[in-house]
Amino acid sequence: MMCGDEYRESLRRLKPEVYYLGEKIESVADHPAFIPHVNSVALTYDLARAPEFEELLTTKSHLTGEKINFFTHVHHSCHDLVRKVKSLRALGQQTGSCFARCVGHDALNAIYSVTYDLDKKNGTEYHQRLVNLLKEVQAKDLFLSGAMTDPKGDRSLSPSQQKDPDQHVHIVARKQDGIVVRGAKAHITGAVNAHGHLVMPTTSLKEADQDFAVCCYVPIDTPGVIHIFGRQTNDDRKCSGCLIDQGNPEYGIVGGEALIVFEDVFVPWEQVFMCGEYDFAFDLVERFATAHRQNYGGCKTGLADVLTGATYALAEVQGTVGASHVRDKLVEMVHLAETLYCCSIACSCQGYALPAGNFMADPLLANVTKLNVTRHVYELARLAQDIAGGMLATMPSESDWKNTSVGKYVDKYLKGVADVPAETRMRLLRLIEGMTCGTALVESMHGAGSPQAQKIMLMRRANWEHKKRLAQKLSGTGESRHD
Amino acid sequence: MPGQKRRVSLKYCGSCNPFIDLSRIGQVLPAAISQETDLLFVSAAETNIDTIIILCGCPRACGNKETIRARALRCIVVAGESVDAVPVAEKDISTAIIKKLKPK
Repeated sequence: MMCGDEYRESLRRLKPEVYYLGEKIESVADHPAFIPHVNSVALTYDLARAPEFEELLTTKSHLTGEKINFFTHVHHSCHDLVRKVKSLRALGQQTGSCFARCVGHDALNAIYSVTYDLDKKNGTEYHQRLVNLLKEVQAKDLFLSGAMTDPKGDRSLSPSQQKDPDQHVHIVARKQDGIVVRGAKAHITGAVNAHGHLVMPTTSLKEADQDFAVCCYVPIDTPGVIHIFGRQTNDDRKCSGCLIDQGNPEYGIVGGEALIVFEDVFVPWEQVFMCGEYDFAFDLVERFATAHRQNYGGCKTGLADVLTGATYALAEVQGTVGASHVRDKLVEMVHLAETLYCCSIACSCQGYALPAGNFMADPLLANVTKLNVTRHVYELARLAQDIAGGMLATMPSESDWKNTSVGKYVDKYLKGVADVPAETRMRLLRLIEGMTCGTALVESMHGAGSPQAQKIMLMRRANWEHKKRLAQKLSGTGESRHD
Repeated sequence: MPGQKRRVSLKYCGSCNPFIDLSRIGQVLPAAISQETDLLFVSAAETNIDTIIILCGCPRACGNKETIRARALRCIVVAGESVDAVPVAEKDISTAIIKKLKPK
């Protein structure tokens, strides 16, 4: 298993094509825009080697029996699924941000099961290829991104109906030694600081969409793979030399998302796990989405622990913590967060084995988890902002606080209770600002799929006829009428 | 064996949402154990452990499992504010463990 510094060194050895603010980036590991995201992933390596977290963040490979980082593990029990949620909460607490490794982890688990089913039906050899990659990922402790979401173009049209077929990643050539793919994947977490990408289809597909049914592994510095890093709220603070104004300078906010362009990228057959089997696209999408939506009551609860702690500490600093309405709001924050955690634990406990032998969380409950995240995280932010007060949006900068002319005024008038320095209040306010004002909230809405995607899954999984029969039986209507 | 120090180790539950400050207790314990003349603090990865302290952050006690208990002849389980199922305030946990480690 790598440590954090070995992970950073591994990034320096790679030469991916990355652009940010119109410039080509030489070293992601050393650029201030990316360092917080690199730090956050690095912590998943360091804490796996720390005695306090070892029991959560390491396990034994079912393939080799070797000790591995949990983020490279294929789940083989409900206990594993619960452990994933607990590890995500622990890392959320330690980073206060996204640590990105869950996406590729979920992709590995989803592809592991779907390739098994695909081979059973078609006699292909995708599963063994995936197992070979998994062994390499485990041995080298690689961090993979999970690249599912296509730009999608006109949402009313299927992939094959688009005027521009590149709006979905697709196969443009099949060769003796591999395939060539073109297109893009949007808002991919950890894309610029991963070792490679697991590319998956974004939606269920029909026969006409065969060329869009492609799943493959693409190392990050493969020729033709171009990364364009997304802007985040207040991201220029990362490059301005200030620390307090960043709120969470060590780990930043969210995971660092990018648009990945695949410009006629060659993928050797050994790295291809689906090539035209459109009838398995839905299974892959659903299993990946289930695994990823399962997560959100883990990591977001960890973040909520930090946010609630910051809000509580700020209320103490501002002298409001004794007010009954403030205490009530703090309790409400706990209730919202723990409800999310309940959802993630529940869908994990109700998980089940797939034909490949690995376990998947209950899809209905996993989608409920994520749908609640799209609401509860916003409410958590609203309560934190309510307690924080307007200074959250109007506070002078760290530079003014350090200024020899006006710093004394900032220091004097930003003070709360007498024995706590203004700097404490400033730091807490900036942390809350970073966690509630902007990009981090949108991530809760759309990460792992937008709310409507969860509702579609609820519609599919709700067991409507059973519910109707129950009502018919008790009401004496329908086929259950007794008269 | 007379004259031989008893080997004591420490294993954490995983620290997902601890009710007590596991890291602080985990820092205090090795030093406190080392001050006892008949005790030797060793890594949990070692063998021939006499007593393993399973340090769990909450009453769920995820670390209290057979694979960990089997590593030593005896175990002491901390589960939130309790030591071997007896309520102990967080500030007294290290003292309570050292007391249990001493011969009666």
